[in-house]
Order: sequence, then C-alpha cells, then structure tokens
Amino acid sequence: MTPNQLTVAVLGAGTMGAGIAVVAARAGHRTVLRDVSDEAVHRGLDNAGGFLRKSASLGKLTPEQADAALANLTGSTDLSDVAPADVVVEAVFEDLELKRALFAELDDVVSRDTLFHTNTSTLSVTAIAAGSRHPERVVGTHYCNPAQLMKLVEVAEGRHTASEATKRSLEFLHGVGKTTVITKDRPGFILNRFLIPWENNCIRALEAGLGTVESIDRAVLGALRHPMGPFQLLDVVGLDVHKAVSMRLYEQLREPRFAPPPLVDRMIAAGDLGRKTGRGFYTYDSTRSFGA
Amino acid sequence: MRTFQRVAVLGFGTMGGGIAQVVAASGRDVVVLETGQERIDLGVAAVRDFLDGGIRRGKATEADRDAVLARITGTTDVADLAGVDLVVEAVTERREVKAELLGRVATVVGEDAVLTTNTSALSVTDLAAALPRPERMAGLHFFNPAPLMAVVEVVRALQTDADVITDLVAFVEDIGKSPVEVKDRPGFLVNRLLMPYLNDVVQEYDDELASAEDIDVAIQLGLGYKLGPLALLDLIGIDVHRHATESAYAATLDPQFAPPPLLAQMVAAGYLGAKSGRGFRVGTEEQGEAR
Repeated sequence: MTPNQLTVAVLGAGTMGAGIAVVAARAGHRTVLRDVSDEAVHRGLDNAGGFLRKSASLGKLTPEQADAALANLTGSTDLSDVAPADVVVEAVFEDLELKRALFAELDDVVSRDTLFHTNTSTLSVTAIAAGSRHPERVVGTHYCNPAQLMKLVEVAEGRHTASEATKRSLEFLHGVGKTTVITKDRPGFILNRFLIPWENNCIRALEAGLGTVESIDRAVLGALRHPMGPFQLLDVVGLDVHKAVSMRLYEQLREPRFAPPPLVDRMIAAGDLGRKTGRGFYTYDSTRSFGA
Repeated sequence: MRTFQRVAVLGFGTMGGGIAQVVAASGRDVVVLETGQERIDLGVAAVRDFLDGGIRRGKATEADRDAVLARITGTTDVADLAGVDLVVEAVTERREVKAELLGRVATVVGEDAVLTTNTSALSVTDLAAALPRPERMAGLHFFNPAPLMAVVEVVRALQTDADVITDLVAFVEDIGKSPVEVKDRPGFLVNRLLMPYLNDVVQEYDDELASAEDIDVAIQLGLGYKLGPLALLDLIGIDVHRHATESAYAATLDPQFAPPPLLAQMVAAGYLGAKSGRGFRVGTEEQGEAR
C-alpha cells in the first residue's frame, strides 16, 4: 500500500486508455478501467495485464511489482464504479459530443473534488470542459502513444480551469512518473501543432517529386537524425489516423498546411493504411501493436 | 567515370574544414583555398581538434589523424588549384562572392574539372549560369558538422550533365556518405522541409504557446528528436536560419518560408544563438531540468 494511493478511473479501454491504466496501476493507484462493453473492458485489461507481465519477464518490473500493479487493476462497464475516483482520465474516442456527455454524466457520479483529465490530442479542452457543470476541475492531459512507455504528458488548461486543479494534476502526473510540459488550449497543443504540418509537407514533397519515400526518409534520418523518417512514422501512426488528426486541426485553424494532401486520400482508398494493414508507404510482413 | 582523386575546397571555415577532413579521410589529396595564412592555420587547427576528439573517444588513432592532416594543404594562391578534378566551394553564403570566386577557379582548373557549391540558400542553376561550361556544375550540400552527418544532397542544376550527377553520387558514397539526389529548389530537400517547421515553432513561441524549454522537451520526449527545435536554432545560428528562410521566401513567395518577425529582432539584439552566448535557450534563465 503506497501512502498516496488514489483511486483512478480510466474511461475508454482502447490503446490509450489501457496504456494510461498501466501507468496508474504501476504507480500504486487503485485503477478502474471502464468501457461500455464487457468485450472492450476485457480486451483493455488483457492488453494492460499482458504488458505488465511482459515488463516483469523483461526485468523492467520485479514479479512483486507486476503482481501489485495487476492487483490494482479492475475493469467495469458500470459508470457507478467510477464513483470513488479521485482522478478520472477520459480516453474515449476523439469525439467532442461523446466527451462532453461523459463529463456531464460523471458530474452526478463522483465527488466535487474529483479531477477530470481529458486525453484529447486535437480537441479543445475548454469545449470538452463545458460538458461538465464544474469546468474548473477539467484539465487537458495529452499522453503520447504508447502511454505506458512514453514519459511526456502535455498539460493544458481550459478557459475555466482552476489553477488548483492544474496544480493537483501536475502532482498526480509527476507521481506516476511523467514529465509534463505546460501548453495553451490551442489546436494540436505542442506536438501535433508542429508534427502535422511537418508530415503533410513531407507528403507534398513526395507528391512534387522532390524525392522518393526512401530518399526523403533517408535524408531526414541522416541530416536531422530523427529516430524515424516521416514516412516510417506515418506508417506507424496509420494514414487514416493521420488524416483524422489533420482534418480536425484544419477545421479549427483553417490553414491549408494542416489539410491532408490528396495522396493521403488515395492511400486510404486503396486500403494502404500503414503497418496495421501490411502496406502504407512501405510494405510489411507482420502487423504488431501494443508492444512491450 | 571520374573518381575525383584531387579535390579543391574553397574556404576553410566550419563547413570547408569539415568537408576537407571527410575527403582527406577517404585517401584523397585536398587543397584548401583561403584568403590568408591565419585563416588556413585556424582551419587546420580546427580539423586537428576534431580528430583529437576522435582519438580521445577511441574512434581513431594518432596515425589516422596525421594521415588525414598530411593530405590537406592550404593555399592562398588560386594557381595552386591547377590539376584538381573536383572543386567544392564552401565560402560565405553571398552570391557575388561565390560567383566571382568560382569564375576565377574555373579558369585555373581543367576544362573537365567538376565544380560544385556547398550552398544551402542560393540557386545552383544561377551560380552555374555565370560560368563557362555550366553543365559541369552541381551542388554538393554537406550538413554541419560534415564529418558526422551521414547525408549529402547532390543537387542537379538545370544545366547539369547527367553523368556529372552519376559521378558525384559515386564520389559521395566513396567518401562514406549517403547521397540524396535532389532538384535545385529553394532549400533543396532537407531545408525545404526543415525551415517551415522551425518558422512555425518560432512564431508559436513568440505567440506564447509554451516556454522555449517546454517546446523543446515536448519535441524531444514526444517525437524522440535529439534536439528540440529552439536548441537546434541556437546551434544553427539565428542569423543563418533567418538568411536561409528569407532567401527561400524571396525565391518562392511561399508564406511558410517568411521569417517570423522575432528572428529579425533577435538578430538586431545580437542574440544569434550559441555563437553569441544568447539565443532561444542559450544564455536564458529557462535552461535547466525538465519539470
């Protein structure tokens, strides 16, 4: 039992939700992973549990630490099981109405002091917070994928966020081992604000014949020493996801540089979504996700 | 197939010295042209320092260092370039200076010598146009620091002969680098992609999206880049980036190359990055550990 043990509810048992549940449970917090269907909850718990067991087998956690984290982790489809939560981390599908409705519903379930964290990457924290009758408790906390491995969390206040809520949120995030950066509630925060036009520019350079997939990746790897070339990264992210993120930013910023170039639509139409379909800018032998 | 065994480098600054070192390390003789003996001495000393660093890290021996240095000769006399079969120009990034020098060198080296420029901001086609036999001119764009960066852009001007490109690609491979063939567009390939990203960051920083440190930390941890964009700008030099992006903007009128106003202000204030002791990250209170 850790001295500062909290109850954390993670809403949404997809890749991000399961990863965030690992982060909370591993740090010693009682963690409830909640989704709408038993199937989704089980899949999320399986992924989280699998990751923790693999961490133990790789020696990243002791068997005792892995067991303790697993013991902290429960699943539920019932929103009332979220009631004791000190921190609710919303990681559902990137849909404004869905997120707002969820926070509105939660207002009646949890205590006044419960912090609401939204893991949105491209929506407005202010707009999501407006779903709650207490927007002062809502803080944007954008984790990177895979959340259980990536240290960074972008923290953004909405217009009505209380500074006390932000302060408690930063303490919580540092407590679970995250490094935080403070950013404004603007489309894309820091990472996607700069990554999306960069990626779209690389795609446009390819369309314009300034290089090939291979030569552009090689140039970026060799001259800028990025860990992945732009097309390698797009294949990991998925062309469909890249398009969705680009469009959400474009709709908010109304700047053409954020609009996905036509090649993205062509690739999606052809089913070439990246690693997950075995073909994107490159072709792949196997598809893999949620790696340890 | 030309293998370019005798190479001339014009200019013994950071880029010229780095290029001379890389070429000499491939076993070729290099003659470096400079305007004065002091500059030659400084250039040689910088190459020696770099190689000494390699010895300290156990990557090279003293014999390696001495062999490289022995193949590099400095000169202030253009006539000493007679007989070289490849010229790599790496002087200051000003069109008149480069064009005038390349014109003088072209009259000394043989008709078949290949002339290249390491420019990052100027048009190779434009520089070639001022020369007799422009079809033997191309761009050879090394990145800083040249001995460490794996990629060299081989730039095809409108006039460049196809076999000049073929031979330069083979040469780049032979000196241990990875050649990327590119068109003569503003910024070629890498800077064409890099400049809008850096401009974007500068403008958002000025618009207070986040602190300089938090922007860099986010990019380093979130995307795994070795350097955050603002630390990178400090290293490149605020003035150097501003000049490059201004040139690209002048050539394209594409707003993504337009230098954000903060760049001009920092240059006016003398905040040029690492070399002046003050930039976005260097010399500010914001340095220190990530929260």
